[in-house]
Amino acid sequence: MRRRPSSLRKYAIAASTAMSERIAYPGNFAGSMFTYALFVFIFSRVWAGAYAGTTEIAGYTMSMAVWYFIIAEIPSFGFGRFFWTLSRDMKSGQVAYLLARPYDFIWYNFAEKLGGSLIEAGIILVEGLAVGFALIGLPPAIASQYPVGFASFALETARLGFLIVSLLLAGALNYFLQMAIAMTAFWLEENEAFYWIFQKFALVVGTLIPIEFLPEKAARIAVWTPFPYLSYAPARIAVAFSLAEAWSLVARQALWVVLALALAKVVFASGSRRLSVNGG
Amino acid sequence: MTAITADRLGKTFTTRVRPSGRFSAARALFKPELRQVEAVKGVSFEVEEGELVAFLGPNGAGKSTTIKMLMGILQPSEGAARVLGLDPTRDRVELSRYVGAVFGQKSQLWFHLPPSDSFRLLGAIYEIDEDDRKWREAELVERFGLAPYMDVPVRKLSLGERIRCEIAASLLPSPLVLFLDEPTIGLDIVAKREIRQLLAEAARIDDTTIFLTSHDMGDIEKVCKRAIIIHHGEVVIDESMKDLRHRALALKYVGVRYALPVNLDLPGLSPVKRTALAASYEVDTRKHSLAEVVRALASRGELEDITIEDEPLENVIASIYATKSGTEAQAFGSQRGKREAGSGELLHA
Repeated sequence: MRRRPSSLRKYAIAASTAMSERIAYPGNFAGSMFTYALFVFIFSRVWAGAYAGTTEIAGYTMSMAVWYFIIAEIPSFGFGRFFWTLSRDMKSGQVAYLLARPYDFIWYNFAEKLGGSLIEAGIILVEGLAVGFALIGLPPAIASQYPVGFASFALETARLGFLIVSLLLAGALNYFLQMAIAMTAFWLEENEAFYWIFQKFALVVGTLIPIEFLPEKAARIAVWTPFPYLSYAPARIAVAFSLAEAWSLVARQALWVVLALALAKVVFASGSRRLSVNGG
Repeated sequence: MTAITADRLGKTFTTRVRPSGRFSAARALFKPELRQVEAVKGVSFEVEEGELVAFLGPNGAGKSTTIKMLMGILQPSEGAARVLGLDPTRDRVELSRYVGAVFGQKSQLWFHLPPSDSFRLLGAIYEIDEDDRKWREAELVERFGLAPYMDVPVRKLSLGERIRCEIAASLLPSPLVLFLDEPTIGLDIVAKREIRQLLAEAARIDDTTIFLTSHDMGDIEKVCKRAIIIHHGEVVIDESMKDLRHRALALKYVGVRYALPVNLDLPGLSPVKRTALAASYEVDTRKHSLAEVVRALASRGELEDITIEDEPLENVIASIYATKSGTEAQAFGSQRGKREAGSGELLHA
């Protein structure tokens, strides 16, 4: 049988197969769509209370704060469950099948898990735009000094482009970090506590509130951790866009993706040598 | 040419033991008590290309661990393995191009998608030319009778149908060696028979080396030509199926039913079960001539029925499994073999 070495085709088909499986049951999205809409509604009420008597908190208007939450929650809902599927594969022994294949284990799982999640993240994004529009109107305009015209259109397009790139980088960062945590199962029988801590940090540092809302010292430390790049970066690009800041945020996200990938590779290389597959 | 070599292959796992007594859980956090479990102890064997080998052993004997070491999934604690000339641990990814696996209790098919999608993905993973993949898939679909299932989501298939798809999927990249870990577990008799036929056929048509673990004697007898029995992590028997079957043939079960009550005791042979009119005897043909036993029974009275059955192969293997250590099992195996040479004691009715 003829073999046609192609490094990318297998990963592309893994991603498209995962997408097909995800849409095999459209009803699967109902739960997360409902929860997301409920969260957005509750937070819009919380912010309405917080902004009573004031128009701005830490540079954010109420519209910015609500839209921030809408965008910041997309990575949590779209890319927040890699750990569970990876961990389940490792604990159930399914990893035996996954390891005995001619591919790069980390990148194959990346294609498969992220591919499947893109559908969910896309649906949540569209839902977020609709719910946000219904609750608070259009997202904050970029720069009022620009008249409606080409410059404004170009900037809006750039904002959308940066937002999508930033969301994808947030997905990749989420995957590699969760993969590294899940692979601690090579050593530990119970590793959920690590993920629980990771999740809580991610929630506090940039998901529920912008990091500008944190005490100054905490915010200064936070920017040196990967957590703001999981949800703060895309949300900030969406509500307070400037080209310079967007470039900076996306570049820092990309750097963290590379670091997280390296971490996942190191954990895999070291952990797979210690593997003790369940059931033999 | 040798396809698989295991040379004093061993695997030791370290497990935590929960200490007993007060505050044991808290103490274990700071000073865990560890225990070394030798899952596989210096196993050695060779499998030639195209051989059909049954790798047997009771639960926990080290079968799956050995398979996983041979596939490079687990790293041996001692010894070495070579599969198709490659070191499974060092060359795991390269080896995976030529080796297939079916783990009966796991699935490589996407649960919510039809098998055709999984086949397409496997074709891409193994970098098979798309036209060749379609040709090979069509061949396997025909051989395994999968046409009605290829477009049905896997979750809607019966276990037997799914396992057929699993085995066909594993054969898609035409592996030179196929490891099967209890492929017929949970299947009904009809499905088991089909799977065995398909495996034997696959080995014949594709010249694939089959390395099969199973608790089902039918799988082993119908598919394999050689048996390696592993127990307590050690190889205790490694011989052809013919020889293994011969061990079973040495023992016969003779059942008789008479028209009227007779004396059922024979000199040197008592029934293992008896009623007023019927009895069954366990005859070791290395001690007693079967013909003489039958003649003696016939001379006791008017026979209404007589049956002669072989000892099931299952019993032979079960008695090896029942031993407490690898050395004991080895001794038991050779003892059964030696008895064949023992002289038969004549039976006089």
